[in-house]
Amino acid sequence: MLLWIGIIVLVIIAVLFISIYIGYYNKIIRFENRIDNSWAQIDVQLKRRADLIPNLMETVKGYMKHEKEVLENVTKARSALMSAKSPQENINADNMLTGALKSLFAVAENYPDLKANQNFLNLQDELTNTENKIAYSRQHFNDSVLVFNNTIETWPGKFFAKRMNKKTREMLQIPEASRELPKVQF
Amino acid sequence: MDKKLLVEDHIKRNKRLTIVICTLMALLFLAVVFAFGYIFFKGNILITLVFAFPIAIGYVVITYSVSIQTVLAAAKARPANPNIREEKLLIHRVEEMSIAAGLPMPKVYVQDSEYINAFATGKKPENSVICVTKGALSKLNQEELTGVIAHEMSHIKNHDILIATVTIAVVGAIALISEIVFYSMLWGGAGRNRRDGNPVVLIIAILLIILAPLFSRLTYLAISRKREYLADSNGAYLSRNPEGLAKALEKIKNDHPKVKPKGSKTIAPLYISNPFRSEARGSLWATHPPVDERIKRLRSM
Repeated sequence: MLLWIGIIVLVIIAVLFISIYIGYYNKIIRFENRIDNSWAQIDVQLKRRADLIPNLMETVKGYMKHEKEVLENVTKARSALMSAKSPQENINADNMLTGALKSLFAVAENYPDLKANQNFLNLQDELTNTENKIAYSRQHFNDSVLVFNNTIETWPGKFFAKRMNKKTREMLQIPEASRELPKVQF
Repeated sequence: MDKKLLVEDHIKRNKRLTIVICTLMALLFLAVVFAFGYIFFKGNILITLVFAFPIAIGYVVITYSVSIQTVLAAAKARPANPNIREEKLLIHRVEEMSIAAGLPMPKVYVQDSEYINAFATGKKPENSVICVTKGALSKLNQEELTGVIAHEMSHIKNHDILIATVTIAVVGAIALISEIVFYSMLWGGAGRNRRDGNPVVLIIAILLIILAPLFSRLTYLAISRKREYLADSNGAYLSRNPEGLAKALEKIKNDHPKVKPKGSKTIAPLYISNPFRSEARGSLWATHPPVDERIKRLRSM
């Protein structure tokens, strides 16, 4: 009788352990996939943004004859973005581009003809959209990393993560100057 | 940053609560159907089971499955047109917030109304709809619009839209049944023929039918008010900018177009702020918490 009770208790403990293990295993994998997925999302937006730039330059060129430096900065930032490899490099180049575009749009205020150009207006909307998307996907990326790290650094997740050989991920650092989310303005 | 965990916890608890409430609603509904059958079929439980249940359940299933179309039709909404700049920008803001929330892109609709308002509907995040009034598009700036969209996106993320959909389906059905019983009793000397069946059960059945609509509505409203606060704070978290929604709410508060709001009152709880707000603030019947309190809480974040 006592033996049976012992066996049953052991079986229950084993089942409990296995189900918790499976639960944590799936959770950790899910959280990790979410990080990769958010990175893919940032990547898509960075590419889209880089693709929009040549169009913008083409539109702006005819109007802005005396703003060589501003235009050059944008082109430079774009090529930095194109050649960036690591996530952090990508983000840094993107911040550069954000800054360059900001001054371009500020200068554009002095060109009423340009501001009335439908194409320019469209591109401005699109670029604002991708810029916001990048900011929000970066935010979602960091949120995902935080949740993942918290899961594998606290008990009992730590125990399982060690067996799954999972290490904490790094958040994307946002330079001091652009810590504030770009506010959409019109 | 720590707040993320809080938000995630809230959502988890919300999800559980959603299931519990939907189950309770379903049980209440079944009880009402049973009571209805008991009165109508003179205490014959078998006939009740055979006739009333399939019809009633069928009704709810159909209402539930066409709920998105029903709501959109009631609001007289149409899909946003990307060729109009205002609406294209709306689509952009929704795209951004869906990325921030990590959710699939909802469908975007526009409602022809001068009032500043918005709602989300659907059953799950994969097939949800966000609808914004034309008034909101023309009177809110992009920062405020982002705040409003973030609030709606939080409703989607918190599974509030499912509960709203189920409630609208069930509350509607219960109200219909109550009305049928009420009028048939009003007109009926028929009542006398219905003495078959246990009188105690009969009284309970009648009481249930009378109280059920009241009960289901009050439960829903209480939850709805609580979830508005939650959607406000989650929205502020998503957009990282509580001020956007706070400003939008301020504009909503001070905005009084002369035209009456269009559309059916059934969908009032869906909106970001009740378009039919003649009722006293903070009353038991309010669909939303008082606007001032919401603004205060947003500003203190």
